[in-house]
Parts: sequence; structure tokens; C-alpha cells
Amino acid sequence: MATVTVEKMTKRFGDVVAVRDLDLHVEDREFMVFLGPSGCGKTTTLRSIAGLEKPEAGTIRIGDRVVNNLSPAVRDIAMVFQFYALYPHKTAFENIAFPLQARNVPKDEIRRRVIEVARVLHIEHLLERRPRQLSGGEQQRVALGRAMVRRPQVFLMDEPLTNLDAKLRAEMRAELKRLQKDLNATTIYVTHDQVEAMSMGDRIAVMKLGQIEQVGTPDEVYNHPSTLFVAGFVGSPAMNFLPAEYVDGANPTLHVGGGAFSLDVRPEWAQAIRQKATGNTFTFGIRSEDIALYTEPGPDRIPSEVYVMEPLGDVNLFDLKVGEHIIKAKTLPNFRLRIGDSVWMKLDPDKLHLFDMQTERAIL
Amino acid sequence: MYDSTTTRVVRGVLIGIGIAAALIFFLFPIYWIVLASFKTKLEVSSPTPLHLFQFTPNLDNYAVVLGLKKQGPMAAGSPGDFMGRLVNSIIIAGASTFLSVLFGTLTAYAMARFRIPGKSDILFYILSSRMLPPVVIIIPIFIMFTALGLAQSYVGLTIMYTVINIPFVVWMMKGFFDEIPHEYEDAAMLDGYPRVQAFFKVTLPNAWPGIAATAVFCVIVAWNEYVFAFILNSKAAVSTVPTFIAANFQGTAGINWGPIAAMATLFVLPVFIFTFLVRNHLLRGVTFGAVRR
Amino acid sequence: MADTAPTQTLRREAITELPPIAVRSWNPSDGWLAFLFTLPTMLLLIFVGVFPLIWSLYLSFTRFSAAKPNIAPEWVGATNYAKVMTDPSIWSVFVFTAKYVVIAVGVEFLLGFGIALLLNRAFPGRGLITTLMLLPMMLSPALAASFWKLIYEPQWGVSNFYIKKLGFAPIDWLANQHITIYALALVDIWQWTPFMLLISLAGLSAVPRYLYEAAEVDQASAWFKFRHVTLPMVWPLLLIALIFRTMDAIRVFEYPYIMIADQQATQTIATLLYRIAFRSWDTGLSTAFAYIVLVMIIAMTNLYIRYLTRATVR
Repeated sequence: MATVTVEKMTKRFGDVVAVRDLDLHVEDREFMVFLGPSGCGKTTTLRSIAGLEKPEAGTIRIGDRVVNNLSPAVRDIAMVFQFYALYPHKTAFENIAFPLQARNVPKDEIRRRVIEVARVLHIEHLLERRPRQLSGGEQQRVALGRAMVRRPQVFLMDEPLTNLDAKLRAEMRAELKRLQKDLNATTIYVTHDQVEAMSMGDRIAVMKLGQIEQVGTPDEVYNHPSTLFVAGFVGSPAMNFLPAEYVDGANPTLHVGGGAFSLDVRPEWAQAIRQKATGNTFTFGIRSEDIALYTEPGPDRIPSEVYVMEPLGDVNLFDLKVGEHIIKAKTLPNFRLRIGDSVWMKLDPDKLHLFDMQTERAIL
Repeated sequence: MYDSTTTRVVRGVLIGIGIAAALIFFLFPIYWIVLASFKTKLEVSSPTPLHLFQFTPNLDNYAVVLGLKKQGPMAAGSPGDFMGRLVNSIIIAGASTFLSVLFGTLTAYAMARFRIPGKSDILFYILSSRMLPPVVIIIPIFIMFTALGLAQSYVGLTIMYTVINIPFVVWMMKGFFDEIPHEYEDAAMLDGYPRVQAFFKVTLPNAWPGIAATAVFCVIVAWNEYVFAFILNSKAAVSTVPTFIAANFQGTAGINWGPIAAMATLFVLPVFIFTFLVRNHLLRGVTFGAVRR
Repeated sequence: MADTAPTQTLRREAITELPPIAVRSWNPSDGWLAFLFTLPTMLLLIFVGVFPLIWSLYLSFTRFSAAKPNIAPEWVGATNYAKVMTDPSIWSVFVFTAKYVVIAVGVEFLLGFGIALLLNRAFPGRGLITTLMLLPMMLSPALAASFWKLIYEPQWGVSNFYIKKLGFAPIDWLANQHITIYALALVDIWQWTPFMLLISLAGLSAVPRYLYEAAEVDQASAWFKFRHVTLPMVWPLLLIALIFRTMDAIRVFEYPYIMIADQQATQTIATLLYRIAFRSWDTGLSTAFAYIVLVMIIAMTNLYIRYLTRATVR
């Protein structure tokens, strides 16, 4: 059983606390993604699980074993580094064979396993080349091969796609995800790219400043972000945020955008607000795809003015001016308007988000 | 990180013994020379070697060297003779080191990264300038430099030392650049930086150990060079220390061990200080490791 | 938004294009930069190098004495070269020098690299200790030779004092050919091991830490890491250091000149050259001798370089 459990881990570098009191559990055979901006502690956590960093506090378990005092060599993990870490003086074959050679595996067995791995990764014809003679994508596959050839319990990947150009990255995402399913291995993947996280992860751990903001499936993290940070980090374009003020009473209302528009508050929302909120000010959030646009006014429609329209081919992205604020909305390509045109927005009431201004936690 | 305390202690002790042994081997003769600078002539050649507390140190030798006191066989002219030459040495060695490291490193980078026709021939030609003993070209150089007005000046000797040191810098730095993965620069250039900026941002920080090491060597070579200094800069105003030491080596009463030791000690000091100042660049690798993001 | 382009089937052919080795990241402006970066070096070397080389080459085919510059050089063809190559005493000088080079450079290499391995870790005072170890190199070779002569003094030298104390008979270090070679080599080793040490250290420092981390994760033992990660990466630099050190050791002058000048029998290439050039003032013969040595060094360096190119990742 290759689960990974981190309990109350803290890691310091001098005065800087990189990871603070972190708790996390990765299921067997799960593809877990650590997502976050640089400096959030995701790589430090990964390296601590690998054994390349020693945390000041906390326990790390792989399977049932506590591995805190075990060197990386004994933890039965494999790692793919951001800069691939291929041995420059060795051929691709020798690079992949390295871990087997280090364990004195017999030569014919090495040969068999390396070729098998190379076949899966479609690099058999590159085995005699040196890393310098390989493109970025090819080097990355060799690095993957080196990790795979040992069939470890856990795979750790540190931003392996960051150094590839955008197109290659898109191709490799799909391949990696498929590979992980075929190998059926527990994988922990670190990235700052939310597209990678969403497309590849079974679950995503969003991190900020050394702590986990939320752990959940892509659906949970996207549709039910538990903090403002997660809501703003996941999804492209980013979620629209506006300040909002709540007025309680017989007809509870939400005044959004400093009075740009107002929404009637449903009873169940009002109850949630009363229970969880610390005050009456919130950050209101709505995603650009949850806004419907109309060319005529109507019930529940908010007036706005077209500030900019970006035709992206498969969708049109509108920047709409509402009061003092700009809201982005996505439409199908056939909906076209010019700058200055008036347009009416209808917000999907089931897709509204409200974040407490103080704690930044989600109320809705 | 994961070794037991016993392993760590034993390893530490063994390494400590090794380092101590090396230090004793390298430093003993130095210690002997420095000691001699505080001894009288009789004390230097005493049948029982006199160690630190077995004689009374005196500063006579230093006084003589610095021209503050006259000793029979010592041709120390006015005070400031030695110091004046020391300043010349600093200027010439410093300038030539700077130039040779600058030009050499640029060339080495070009050789390591770019496609250049006839590269290995050029590299070999650069190396070959170090194969001929200086005695062979010393006379033609003298004639050429005098004709161009470069003799008896800072410029001529600086050029000479730059030329002497460049081959070493080129080969050393090329070796370094070959080993620094060009992925770093490629990644930076993919981010939009022009190559020159990528070099400063990414390659240079990794190259410091190589640059520092070559700079130290260039300084040492230029500092101690004798043949060309003797031929090209014989006039006192532009001469360097090695010629001064050689001129005062022997007196009427045999070798001037005391003053020579004093000069050697004084002369080694600036180089030592320079190396000490750049030691952190020399030794970057272990504590800072590879470039993190 | 750009990432939501419709996916296509993986095009494997595009991924497997092979670019030429050293040209992965060739920008159009690189040609200009390459020229600019190489120009100053080449200008300097050609300016200072070409004229003296041509003139001395000419002289090697003449009978000429720099001591009598007014008597014009007289063309004698290959006489000087013939003289050098047929003289039996010159052969013994070559052998002596070769032995010296092998002993001195060999020990320097092993010792220098070994000490560098010891110093390749963080410990308090590392900077100071390393700088101290470099002191021997900072002395001028002539001074080093003089003071080692003092140490070697058979009657009152420090070395023999301690040798006698340990119960052995005093050694006359510079007595004859057989022992002198070790005495001289010892001075060379003392002064130039720091050279190998420094380069080894710089090379060791430049190995990226993530390679060691990858090897650690891959379950490599300490020896395996040394053999497969450290050594291949440091080896090219060591080889370059070896080339330079060998060239310099072949041309060693100060140590034999100062320490055994009185011994006619024991010579190195450089002292013999000096004697011909500045004692006998036979400029023609000395330049011919120098060029023969040059050819030998070129041949040897070629071998080194061939080995180096194979060992480097280009």
C-alpha cells in the first residue's frame, strides 16, 4: 500500500518558515497535485517526502513506515526533477539504467527493463544519444524512464513540464496522465500551472505561504473553493471579484460593487451568512462562464457597458464595465458587440460565491 | 543527514587528520621562511634549527628592506625602493589579470557555446603559446616592444602578462562552461531574455568558482614573473619586485638570507590577501549547490 | 485561454528531430557575438606571438650569437638540429626531465585531488584553511628553490636535523643524480600540488547538487556516486590542469638552476637550454633545441587533447 501521509510538518530555512504545520494524506495510486505560486512550500514538501530535506517537526509516512530518519535511497521513491538532472556524460540508456546499476542488477535484466521502459515512452531509438543531443521533451522522457524503471512505490515530480514550450507541455500533460493510470502508481506532482493541476490531478492540494488552503478534486476546487485564494488561483480567466455589503432584514439584499447592482438574498444564503460570517462585508465572486449576456433588459438582468471584447476563436471574452468595476464574461463566438454597447448580464444564482472579507473563507 | 553520530565523528576525525597533515606539509617551509625574516644571519644558518621561541626576533631585516636602515651588502637605496616596486607589481599584475580574465572568459564562452569554424585549431594555437620556453622569444620581444615604445612602461609588461595568462584562462573557463548545462540559458532565453542577459543572469553565477580560480592563478603568474620583467622594465620607476629581489639576492658576504626572507614575506602578503578575499567565490559549490529556480 | 486549443494526435515525428550537438540554442545574433568575444584574444596572441616566433625560427637555421649581434647570422641549414639530435648527452637530459615530470606531476595530481576531496564539504574556517594551503604556489619559484636549498642543507638544514632526531643518517639531498631527482620533485610537488588542489576544488564545486540528489534517490552508494557522478564531471577539468602542469614541469628551470647549478652532470631541458643560449651564447643552437622541444610538447599535448575531447560532453 503506497499511501503518503504527512502530519504536522514544519520546515524552516534559517528564519524563513517554508512549510508550517502541514497535514496531508495521499491515497494509494492517487495522482495528487501540489498547486501554488512560487514560495508556497510545495516543492519543499515534495523534497521532504523524498528525503532531500529534513523537516524540523512532523512525521512523514510512506505506507505504514515512518520515514523521517530514512535516507532517500531507502524510501523506495523515484523523482523527476525540474531540470531533469540527467547525467550529462551518460547515454540515455545509461541514464535510465543508472538506478538498476546502482543496485547491481544483472546486465541482461537491466537491458530488458530499460528497453521495456523506453518502449512505453517511445524513446527506444534515442537510447544511444547523450542528453545534449536530445530535445527538452525527449530529455524529460528519459528522466521519466529513469524514475519508472525501478517501479517504486511513489513517484515524485517537481514541475517536470515547466521548461517545455507551451505546445509540448499540452501534449505531455495527456501522456503523463495516461502513463500514471497505466502504471497504477501513487504520484505526487508539483506545479504552479493550474491548467496542469486541473487536467491531471485526481486531487489537488492548493498551497499558499507554507500551508494548504484546500484539498479536493478538480471539481471541488473549481466549483467549491473554500478560500478566496483558491477561487482566484484556479480557473482561467480568474474569477471575478467585487466587494459586497450585506443588509439584513425582511428582504435581505447584497449590494455589490459599491452599489453597482444589488441581488436579492435567498433564505438559505441568509442563514449561512448569519451563521458563518464575521461581519457584513464580503468579497463577491462569479466566474466568467456563469454570466449570461443579453442585448435587452429584463428581470434579474444587470446593465453594463462593453469595455473591451476579445474574440478568442472558441469563445468571446467580454470586459464589462459595471459601476466602477470590470467584470469578465464568456460567450459563444457568435455573440458580438462593439465597445460602448450596452449589454445586460444575468448571473447564475447557483454559481455565486461569497467570501468573508476578514477570513476569506467561503460562505456560499 | 542520515548517518549515525559515530559515523560522522569518525569521518570527521579522519578528515581532520588528513587536512592537518596537508597543512603541516604546505605551511612548514612558509613558516620557516617567515621565521628567517626575523633572524640574524647567524641564526639562519645555526646548526640547531631555531624555532619560534628559541631566539629573539628582530625587525632589522624588514628595516633594511624598506630602506630604513642600511646593511652593508644590501643595495637598498632610498626608503620606498621596495614599496615603490611593490606598487608597480600591484598595478601591473592587477591590470593584466583583469584583462586576461575578461578576454579569456569571453573567448571561452564563445568556444563552449557557439559554432566557430576551425575552433579546435584556434584552441590549439592558443594553447601552443605556452609551450615555448621564454628564453627563445625574449630578444625579439625586446626589440619589438622597444620599437613600439612599449618597453619601460606599465603598458608593455601588462600586455605581456595578459598574453601569457590568456591561454590558461581560455582553456580553464571553456572546461567550466562545457560543464554548465546550457538548459539554464535556454530556459532564460525561452523566457525572452537575449543571450547576453541570460549569460549574466544564469551562467555567470555558476561560473564563479572557475573565474575566481583562474584569477588567482593569473595574479600569481604575473606577480612572480621574472624574465620579461627583467628585460622589459629594467628602469627603477617601472620595475617590479622580482627583479629587486634577484638584484639583492647575494651580497659580498654570501646570500642575504634575512632580507630575502623579509622580502619574500612582504611580497607574498598581497597575493594571500587577494586570495583570501575571493575565497567565497572559489568555494561556492558546496553550500549553495545548483541554481534553484 | 491559449491552452484550450483543441487537442491533436501526438505527433511523434516532431519530437524526435535531432538537432546538431552544440547548436541547440543558436540565435542569429550569436555569430556576431562569437566573433566579438574571440577577437581581443586572437589579436593579442597574434600581435605578440607571430613576429618573435618567425624570427627565432629563422635563427634556428643559422649560426648566430646574440652576444655578438653585429656579426650577421650565417645560414647553416639543419646543422643545429642535427647537432641536437645526435648528441648522446642530450638524450640523458631528456630522460632525466621526463622522469622528473612523471614523478612530480603524478604525485601532484593524486595529492591535489585527494586533498580537494577532503575540503569539499562545509566546515568552519574552510575559506581560511584553503587559502593557507595555496600559499606555496604564491611564492616565486626562485625563492622557493632558495629556501628549500636551505632546508636541504646537509650539515645544518632543518630536514636533516629531524631526520637525525628520528635516528636516521642525514641525507645529502643534492649529492648526485639519483637522489636529486626526488629532492627537486619534492619542491615541485610542494609548490604545485596547490595548483591541482585549487582546480580540483573549483571543479568539484561546480558539480550541480541536483545530480547528487538524483543519484541519492536512485539508491546509489557513496562510491557509486563518486565514480559515476563526480569523476566524469571533474575529469575534463583535471585533464586541462594536467596539460598545463605537464607543460610547465617540462620547462622547469628555477629549481635545478638554483639548487644544483654546480653539477654539470645533472641538467633539465631548461637549464641546458639556458646554458647553450646564455653561457655559450650559441643562439642558433639554442633556438633549434627549443623548437625540437616544442615539437615534442606539441605531439604530447595532442594526445592529451584527443583524450580530453573524448572525455568531455561537447
